[in-house]
Amino acid sequence: MTEVPAAERALRRSGVWMAVALLLVAGVYVRALAFTPEEATQGLAQKIFYIHAPSAWVAFLACGIVGVCSLLYLFLKDARLDLLAASSAEVGTVFLTTVLVTGPIWGKTIWGAWWTWDARLTLTLFLWFICLGYLVLRTAVDEPGRRARYSAVLGILGALLVPFIHISVLLFRTLHPKPVVLQTSRPQLPGSMLLTLLLSFTVFTVFFVALLVRRYAWARLRDARAQSAADSPDASR
Amino acid sequence: MPPANGGYMIAAYVAAAVIYLAYSAWLFWRSRSR
Repeated sequence: MTEVPAAERALRRSGVWMAVALLLVAGVYVRALAFTPEEATQGLAQKIFYIHAPSAWVAFLACGIVGVCSLLYLFLKDARLDLLAASSAEVGTVFLTTVLVTGPIWGKTIWGAWWTWDARLTLTLFLWFICLGYLVLRTAVDEPGRRARYSAVLGILGALLVPFIHISVLLFRTLHPKPVVLQTSRPQLPGSMLLTLLLSFTVFTVFFVALLVRRYAWARLRDARAQSAADSPDASR
Repeated sequence: MPPANGGYMIAAYVAAAVIYLAYSAWLFWRSRSR
């Protein structure tokens, strides 16, 4: 069990990470808005790409972490894995929310519609519902062991959606564009746009890690304090 | 000539900033106050 002072130190360190990550995200905003050229056919709305795609990558990364930690928890029964899965699910839900907000804004100006029920959009919306269900489930079950088991099962089911979302644009006829950057045989993005996109992917990943570390450090401190209170002599009176 | 849709770009960037800043502030406040 982590002792309270060590958990408090970890929480303080995570605050520095968060501040640095937020500054880096601000840097991406400046780079994307002021120092990246306007795309010829889509206009300025194409720049939504630089926050939409990295947010989606991070959301799927977060769901992957939830799935792996959940699976490991079912075998190892280590409470830290459950805490990491819960932290990743909460932070991932925030990024997924951003995907579902910025996507329709981009779609409205390019497709002429805020939303269409195509495979990728619909599956992403379903993943968001599963994430919300996961978070609600964790508040609804009090007993820690049972909460962790139920959450792990739902976390694995949610993570299984991620590969389907990724290949949905290849399996189905959808409005959502196919990957343009990963086609190594046909480079399509000019260098300055590609640099902004890679920078954005990197910074958003750092931002996610900072939020995850902060959320996990808080959960560890909360549990350490609860354990410390339960172990104190006053608790037995 | 590219379409004039800078308003959509600004709306998306502002919305993302609001979501991320609001969550960061909530996470910071929540972990400081308990």
